[in-house]
Amino acid sequence: MNVEISDVTRRFGRTQAVAGVTLRTGPGVFGLLGPNGAGKTTLLRMMATVIPPSSGRVRLLGRDPGGYGPRREIRRRLGYLPQNLGYYPGFTVAEFVEYFALLKEMPPGRVPRAVATAIERVDLGGRARSKLRTLSGGMLRRVGIAQAIVNEPELLLLDEPTAGLDPEQRVAFRALLRDLGERATVVVSTHLVEDIGAACSEVALMDAGKIVFQGTPDELTARGEGTGAAGDAPLERGYSAVLAAARSAAAVA
Amino acid sequence: MTAARLLRVELRRNAMPWILPLVAALFWFDSYRPSTGTPPLYGLRTFWNMGQGHTILDFGPFVAGVAAWMGSRDGRRGLADLVTTTSRPRWAAQLATWAATAIWAVVAYLVFVGVMFAVYARQGVAGTPPWWYVAVGATAVAAFSAAGFVIGAWWPSRFAAPVAAFGGFLAMFLSFQTGFSHMSGWALILPTNSNGNFDGSAQADAGIFYPWLPDLPIARIMFLAGIAIAALGLTGLPARAGGPWLRRSAAFITLAGAALAGTAVGLASTAQEAAEGVVIPALHDAANAAPMAYTPSCAHAAGVPVCVNPAYRRWLPQVTAALAPVLSEVAGLPGAPARAIQVAASYPSGGDGPPRPVTIGGHPSVLRLQLGLLNTPGPCDFCAGPVAATAYEAQIQLLFAHAFVGAGDGAGSPVQQAVQAALLRGAGIPFAAQPGLIADTENFPGSGSGPAPATGPVYAAAQRLAARPAAARDAWLSAHLAAVRAGRLTLEDLP
Repeated sequence: MNVEISDVTRRFGRTQAVAGVTLRTGPGVFGLLGPNGAGKTTLLRMMATVIPPSSGRVRLLGRDPGGYGPRREIRRRLGYLPQNLGYYPGFTVAEFVEYFALLKEMPPGRVPRAVATAIERVDLGGRARSKLRTLSGGMLRRVGIAQAIVNEPELLLLDEPTAGLDPEQRVAFRALLRDLGERATVVVSTHLVEDIGAACSEVALMDAGKIVFQGTPDELTARGEGTGAAGDAPLERGYSAVLAAARSAAAVA
Repeated sequence: MTAARLLRVELRRNAMPWILPLVAALFWFDSYRPSTGTPPLYGLRTFWNMGQGHTILDFGPFVAGVAAWMGSRDGRRGLADLVTTTSRPRWAAQLATWAATAIWAVVAYLVFVGVMFAVYARQGVAGTPPWWYVAVGATAVAAFSAAGFVIGAWWPSRFAAPVAAFGGFLAMFLSFQTGFSHMSGWALILPTNSNGNFDGSAQADAGIFYPWLPDLPIARIMFLAGIAIAALGLTGLPARAGGPWLRRSAAFITLAGAALAGTAVGLASTAQEAAEGVVIPALHDAANAAPMAYTPSCAHAAGVPVCVNPAYRRWLPQVTAALAPVLSEVAGLPGAPARAIQVAASYPSGGDGPPRPVTIGGHPSVLRLQLGLLNTPGPCDFCAGPVAATAYEAQIQLLFAHAFVGAGDGAGSPVQQAVQAALLRGAGIPFAAQPGLIADTENFPGSGSGPAPATGPVYAAAQRLAARPAAARDAWLSAHLAAVRAGRLTLEDLP
């Protein structure tokens, strides 16, 4: 298992963003679904070693990120796309990706080729020398994905990766996700269920800091059948049904 | 290799180059242009820009501001999370960003100063450039960049840059003002303290007769480097900066930097003024204070050889023109100089009395000229206005006559004043012009006061003496000069 999370909580003052999450996943594309404020981003930030859990146990790539040495090893093998990706406006696409390749301590000799490959994979080869300030929001998102995959990570964490991408780019991105998932563990946090249906082999649904469903997209779809839950697509209906059930159970409790 | 590539990216995309045109303009108008109003000697030309630290003032606030901008970059741009998740310690990445900022700033400083010195060289500025003070300036720029960077790193706000820039300006301005009135270790260590700069007592002739003493610059470099090191250490203290070992190292570096800066202040507090400059005993190497060898430039005035340091060669014609009439006037008299030489300018300290630009002594008698104490002909921004060659020559004549009659540090006895006035009259300076000349001559007793009319018993006696035939006057002076110099005569004793 590349990701092993046991009973993890995370508090910010009085707010409990993640409340006792347990999750295990290996290679493949893992979808993390949930409404806004469900705790997806906080969980992803803990998996990205940005913040430690308040309690519980996290093991990534077989290592405990609580220790500095193992954490550094994890980070060498990690790719991360935050929800709100900042950028250096004066950098070119290639420089930005190269910069993060160097920060990830890739061997210098491998960097130029890896940078070129990552940029090609997000279909920005023609804009490699463009300054970031000249790019559209969708292009910037793809630059963010390029920096995340430049080191061919064993664990790739993507927070809302398709936000801002046009339909054509989203289709291409899902193909990229499937390709990456063959070798690495890819965790995709999103509230767009169609991304999950198209690319993920496993999915977890979060609400109010807890995981209220974990299974395959087909299993999630099945939860919505015959419930009359809202949604245009079968997966959306499953999503709505699980959420409704979780909330009514919470209200009863 | 990786660090070099990281540095290359940072150098290419650093914000510092954007601010350099503004700094260049400021440097031109604040550091270079005012200096051109001073005589073409490195000690004087660079007193304004290097001595009073204007080159640092022009750079420091901007460098601190841009460094704060770069230091706050990840926080401002929302990249802190992403940078944190990379395996390279955040401190190492920050140091690369700082290094690129500092390299741009220091290289720009060195280029600007280098261009200024090249222009000076084309203008024929004489002496040797104050390289030690250039090193101080470069270290100060690096220290400003480090201090600004740490402000930005700790406070990643868009306001970090203006706050750092204003703080840098305030620090420089206060130390600049402090320099006028304090000579304590804390004041001396500041790079814009003009009191300690430029080797106090040697000032004009630093780098001409003596090399620029490195004692105080070394202490200042230690101080500024200590600040820079401590600031960079501070950026490595937060939990995000790296692992425990790295953060402990950062804490040690911070303390080491503070200790280095404190040691430098302690060293500066032991500074003493000496003829060849500011001496810090613990840092002093006597070899650095040895006079510089030179081949003098010589000419003759009234048959007397007059030799000056080659740095003063351009004023040799004025010096000989000034000395010729007075040397003719005293030719053959007891104590008349057999030769004239230039010696290093020196401002006596403590109770040693005022400076004496011209002295006569020895057997055979030698005229010693401290030309560095006089305002040389030409532009003079730190005097009332440009110095005319005729005024320069008249001042030398007055100082010569004053020294010849043995008047010493004060105005002299009435007889000495009368003989001095008569000698000047013989050299072509009318009595009526002499009070004005006395008032205008720097480092002369009575200078600075308003000119009085050339009347009274002294001038009456001088007129009597001057009115006598030359042979009779010389005969009287030959017989009585020793008594005149000893102050044993009264005005009634004059013929």
